Amino acid sequence: MNNDFPPTPLAWVNGSDAPEKHSLDIGFMALSDCASVVVAATQGFAQPYGLTLNLKRQSSWAGLRDKLVSGELDAAHSLYGLIYAVHLGIGGTSATDMAVLMGLNQNAQGINLSSALQRQGVTSPEALERFVHQSSTKLTFAQTFPTGTHAMWLYYWLASQGIHPLHDVNSVVVPPAQMTAHLKAGRIDGFCAGEPWSADAVEQGNGFTLATSQSIWPDHPEKVLGCTRAFVEQYPNTARALVMAILAASRFIEHSPENRRSTAQLLSGKAYLDAPLSSIEPRLLGDYHDGLGNHWHDPCALSLHDQGRANLPYLSDGMWFMTQFRRWGLLRKDPDYLGVARQVQQLALYRDAASALGVPCDVRNMRSSLLIDGIEWDGSDPAAYARSFRLHALADWPAALAHH
Amino acid sequence: MLRILLIDDTEKKVGRLKAALVEAGFEVIEESGLTIDLPARVETVRPDVVLIDTESPGRDVMEQVILVSRDRPRPIVMFTDEHDPGVMRQAIQAGVSAYIVEGIHAARLQPILDVAMARFESDQALKAQLQARDQQLAERKRIELAKGLLMKMKDCNEEQAYTLMRRQAMSKQQKLIQVAEQIIAMSDLLG
Repeated sequence: MNNDFPPTPLAWVNGSDAPEKHSLDIGFMALSDCASVVVAATQGFAQPYGLTLNLKRQSSWAGLRDKLVSGELDAAHSLYGLIYAVHLGIGGTSATDMAVLMGLNQNAQGINLSSALQRQGVTSPEALERFVHQSSTKLTFAQTFPTGTHAMWLYYWLASQGIHPLHDVNSVVVPPAQMTAHLKAGRIDGFCAGEPWSADAVEQGNGFTLATSQSIWPDHPEKVLGCTRAFVEQYPNTARALVMAILAASRFIEHSPENRRSTAQLLSGKAYLDAPLSSIEPRLLGDYHDGLGNHWHDPCALSLHDQGRANLPYLSDGMWFMTQFRRWGLLRKDPDYLGVARQVQQLALYRDAASALGVPCDVRNMRSSLLIDGIEWDGSDPAAYARSFRLHALADWPAALAHH
Repeated sequence: MLRILLIDDTEKKVGRLKAALVEAGFEVIEESGLTIDLPARVETVRPDVVLIDTESPGRDVMEQVILVSRDRPRPIVMFTDEHDPGVMRQAIQAGVSAYIVEGIHAARLQPILDVAMARFESDQALKAQLQARDQQLAERKRIELAKGLLMKMKDCNEEQAYTLMRRQAMSKQQKLIQVAEQIIAMSDLLG
């Protein structure tokens, strides 16, 4: 007998914590907040853990979702709300058990309006509120996925300004990289998306940034490393190794401004964001200009690591998206907020990976935040929180109350 | 409909297997096994399954199977009268997905082919994983070699060497392995 025939995988997995699967297909969207995934895959952060990460760029969140659910992608840079929508069976797929392995970033999304609105003097939240309620034309806003974070930031912000996002304006879905073109063509009046597409709209003179997502919720949860629950159960060592590789990459990017700048250069490449460095680098370093002549250094700009604070998958972060699904009628009744978050957020696995790398971990599973409307969210009473908003679309409330 | 390339390597059962396959609803392309260039036929016919009917698989048949497995991998099912476990092991090692001794019944063909195809898919996935692992180990060695060279050249520590290599790679929109190869090549040049 020759010995060329490959041994079964169990021969070298048994009794070790070596990854069960070595080559992983990882989906991502062309956004600045995919940085840790791209750096991990290309800069040798995965090899020490026995992994090869094959990057698969996706052109829409719906496509990414379908490939994640079908198993064509092992894991992906995902919207928080996308993972929860699939888990709860809202939207285009039947419910599939999902998992959040880690947070990939906080902050760095933006709400932008067209230059046409700017010329009409609509350059402040108050002016927008007056325009929406006094003009006969209904404005159209784009977000990137019906249950995604951008839809939730857009809805939350509009509502905080007294604009009902489902009644007072139209809402459409557009892939992030196409926002600028749609804005320029006048097909949409504004959009909410991740960087660099807000900066790109400003850079190209097609619009201006009216609000950053960090002004809605400083250090808000945003993208996650998502996969199916089946993947974590079948390949637990691989999942932990993957978290370690990406966590180490996120720490490296934030280690120095030079590393951040090199990251911006890498991201601008054709295979990744395929966008000009001038649209990516400034906001990646926290330097904002809004297209109205205002410049500032944002202390809550894109955060990929922040000593692990941006990466811990807090239960309260996952629960918040469910409260907003409830608020806007995407969920007809209250889910078991805490129970679902405990299933989806892979806290134990994350803490294992982080402590192996020496990344500090908050011992708490919840965190407390103050949002733009002065309402505090700490995860303690999600059902009451979901009902606490003046503007909403709670399906089981009398319609007459919905406008008050 | 499944397309089957049937290799007839026996005189005894001519036509019998083909009739059973056609009866079971498969598209069958039949070839004599004596002079065939199997990899070339697989490339032309692009069958879903290769089925070899042979009294006793000899060296030539095994050789053809090995070539197909290496160059044009397809599920291969072998029907034979050969009971010798040694021959069966040889056939499996050569890349046969299912080895069936005697007894060809039309009703049993579908499950046999299903098993063969499932087995083939899992073997292919395993092979791809092993290849990826080999490549990953090779890359890791090259990166460590380059890191060591850079530490000597720059008189710096390990972490600083990695950071220098990564910044260089990222600013050129390259992978770390590409910069590692450049450092190794440069070091070779300078002796």
